[in-house]
Amino acid sequence: MAKLRRRHRGELTWTENLVFLAPLLFFLILLYGTLFWTIYVSFTDWSTMAPNYQFTGLKWYRFLVQQPKFKVDIINNLKWLILGVFPTVTVAIFLAYFLELTPFPKVEAYIRTLILYPVAMSFIVTGTVWSWMYEPSRGVINTLLRLLGIDANLRFTTNPETATYWLILIFIWQYLGFSVIIVQSSFRTTELQELVEAAIVDGASRLRILFAIILPNIRGGLLILISLLLISTLKVFDIVYIVTFGGPGIATDVLALNMWITTFQQHLVSAGAGLGVIIFVSSFILVIPYTIYAFRKWFE
Amino acid sequence: MKTKSRSAKILVAVILAVLSFVYLLPLYVMVITALKSAQEVSAGQYLLPTGQPQWSNFTEVLFGSQRFRSEMATRLGNSIIISFSVTALCAFFGGLSGYYLSRIRSRFSTVLFILVGIALYLPYQVVIIPLSILMAKTGLGQSHAGLIFSYMILNMPLASVLLGTFFLAIPRELEEAAEVDGASRIQIFFQVVMPISLPAYASVAIIIFTQVWNEFFLALSLASRKTQTVQVVMAEAKGTTLVLYNLQMAAALIAVSVPLIFFLFLGRYFIRGILAGALKG
Repeated sequence: MAKLRRRHRGELTWTENLVFLAPLLFFLILLYGTLFWTIYVSFTDWSTMAPNYQFTGLKWYRFLVQQPKFKVDIINNLKWLILGVFPTVTVAIFLAYFLELTPFPKVEAYIRTLILYPVAMSFIVTGTVWSWMYEPSRGVINTLLRLLGIDANLRFTTNPETATYWLILIFIWQYLGFSVIIVQSSFRTTELQELVEAAIVDGASRLRILFAIILPNIRGGLLILISLLLISTLKVFDIVYIVTFGGPGIATDVLALNMWITTFQQHLVSAGAGLGVIIFVSSFILVIPYTIYAFRKWFE
Repeated sequence: MKTKSRSAKILVAVILAVLSFVYLLPLYVMVITALKSAQEVSAGQYLLPTGQPQWSNFTEVLFGSQRFRSEMATRLGNSIIISFSVTALCAFFGGLSGYYLSRIRSRFSTVLFILVGIALYLPYQVVIIPLSILMAKTGLGQSHAGLIFSYMILNMPLASVLLGTFFLAIPRELEEAAEVDGASRIQIFFQVVMPISLPAYASVAIIIFTQVWNEFFLALSLASRKTQTVQVVMAEAKGTTLVLYNLQMAAALIAVSVPLIFFLFLGRYFIRGILAGALKG
């Protein structure tokens, strides 16, 4: 009996602890070990193939900030953060609301599958396909336009002025379905459904219901969605690597690509580590609101 | 909330048409271009299903040729070995630690949960340098085991949290009954919790599998020639065969086939996994 009560408070024996925890702890220690290792490397003087752990303070951070590439990266990452996230969320809200309202269940099922299939694809595959769509001379979009008699000759990702925007469009295309199902599932709480029913009885218009009742009540879902999208756009690497590799010139370069080139092609390992730390710190700050929210939910 | 007025029908039709076009066009282009000859592609005649379908494009991509040296068959094998191993191992061990996180409330488990929560959003860029040193030092980089191990480091937190979230929803009564019968926690987990959580395992497995299969940054930085995945070889093919879009599309179709089949046949688990990861974690 005493043993039973002890268990109810949730205490485990040594073997039980070992079985349940050892694997996770092992990998967590490795993960955090590599994290701190990277942070340390960023303060050392490692700038060739051979490791050099001589402590040099902020030397390589200063080096990074002085590079013209760094400024381009920051501006591009900001473009990604803003244009990759907010248009996606806005369209997703309207589309999810539309799917909730549509009187044809088959339409809803079809659209959900249709816009969700890119979730199963990698950015490398999507990027390859969209490179072909965007190809300026014989590519799909320009060929289609020519068939319609429009000689637009869009330059897409070969024009340094607008290249990043075309890349962001690929991201939106890929993440729209994902965003819609998250928004849609946050609609489906009983409290919210009751509020909506009541508003319909009161004769509120559909748009009014969306803005006055639904949006304020799905703040949790929106916070999650926005945080997830912010993280994905901050870390964006694959799309840029495969479609433009940062070009033309350095016009579409982003932090993650810069990190990879600096580390693995130029072997300025300390500088690469510094970029890794910058990405880590920014993403850490971006997910703070979400993390607090998630912890509250878990421990409530 | 449902209406069937005329304007509503028009709106539905417009949205249907626009979305169908935007989402089916890339898929259509992928398939149709993959079946065209190089001449048809460079003449700009690839949008309609005319001419002889070039099935040989697929064999060329799979087994390599003069103009497509990055043969994909072995890479497909690498991706399958790596993704399935990581998925199975992460689901198994993640289940154990997810159970711990969902059942034990102590200061230690709170700290652990916070560490796991932060780990979920750790950018790969901040672990890649030490990982590549470890891979080189231990020689693991030349084998599949090295990549499997690296992916486990990054996916164990996710597997634990996702499975833990599903376990939270299981009524405690079942476990309490088993406890009264004198079963240990380990027995309870394997005999009670695990069997009724198989759908949860399916969802988590699909999410992890897709993530690992589609991952590029780590695969690019760590893989040796012998362990390259399909994503890496696709990037390589795009760099070297810039003109041959028909072969690139064939390669893209091969690379996407496995996760897309999972998505089409196990879509429900897929969606549940996404929602668990997003809404409850």
